Amino acid sequence: MIMIIGGQFQGKTEYAKNVFGFRDEEILDGEKCDINAVFSAKCVNKFHKLVERIHEKNEDPVRFCERLCEENKRAVIIMNEVGCGIIPLEKSDRILRESVGKSGCIIAKNSEKVIRIFCGIPEKIKGELP
Amino acid sequence: MSGKLTLISGGSKCGKSSFAESLFSDFSGEKFYIATMLPSGEEAFSAIERHRKNRAGKGFATIEKYRDIGEISLPEGSGVLLECLGNLLANEMFCGEEIKLPNKKMLDGIMHLKNAANRMVIVTNDVSRDGILYDEKTELYKKNLSELNRKIAEISDCAVECVFGIPIVRKGNL
Repeated sequence: MIMIIGGQFQGKTEYAKNVFGFRDEEILDGEKCDINAVFSAKCVNKFHKLVERIHEKNEDPVRFCERLCEENKRAVIIMNEVGCGIIPLEKSDRILRESVGKSGCIIAKNSEKVIRIFCGIPEKIKGELP
Repeated sequence: MSGKLTLISGGSKCGKSSFAESLFSDFSGEKFYIATMLPSGEEAFSAIERHRKNRAGKGFATIEKYRDIGEISLPEGSGVLLECLGNLLANEMFCGEEIKLPNKKMLDGIMHLKNAANRMVIVTNDVSRDGILYDEKTELYKKNLSELNRKIAEISDCAVECVFGIPIVRKGNL
């Protein structure tokens, strides 16, 4: 598994396409894809949005991530870092933000490489850059 | 005495606490955990409970101190884990009618603890990267916390950023 992280609009998807050669149709959009499709997808984009959707279904994102890591070991997961701000006022926002953090820790733990994109520039967080 | 000081920063749920605790696994002296979170509200209780459970069996004695960490006297040569700076700052700033500027007092408190400790780890938060402009009070809080983080990083032997559970050394060596 490979994980690509960073702030919004830093060039994460572009990086995945350039480095791993994904075509647009091979990249699932976590915001609207069929949730079960992630277990066989080559690449899942906006994974933080997928975590949100799992939450809305009252399912446990942590368990979902553990299953994903078990069943789709070759996936490239792209997600935003959302935890580096002020604690949100709304309880539901707080729970969601924490869920994205916990989910990210599971994906990172199971990834051989974690790459953070900053202004389009890749930084190795775990493993060597491809 | 003044032993090694390590600063650990990162966003929400990035594994800062467990990493901070792991830095004491080979420490044989007396270990103290300074808990700064005010136990008010259901979420605070569950956070405190979660931290307590994670810490259980790791040999820390807990000191609950929500303000004035300079008043704590540690036995010479002990280990101390301060968690977390973000809560401590909020408790110091927003206590009473007027908003206070506690940075100097907090840094003095940290120096006081550091002088007694043989190993010190401070957990803080990275709160200034969500790009949202908040009200004046919150902006002042962000500014103060970021300034504290910079000043502590300056006097630290090691500074670490936790990213989704992975520690990235930003200064010195672990």
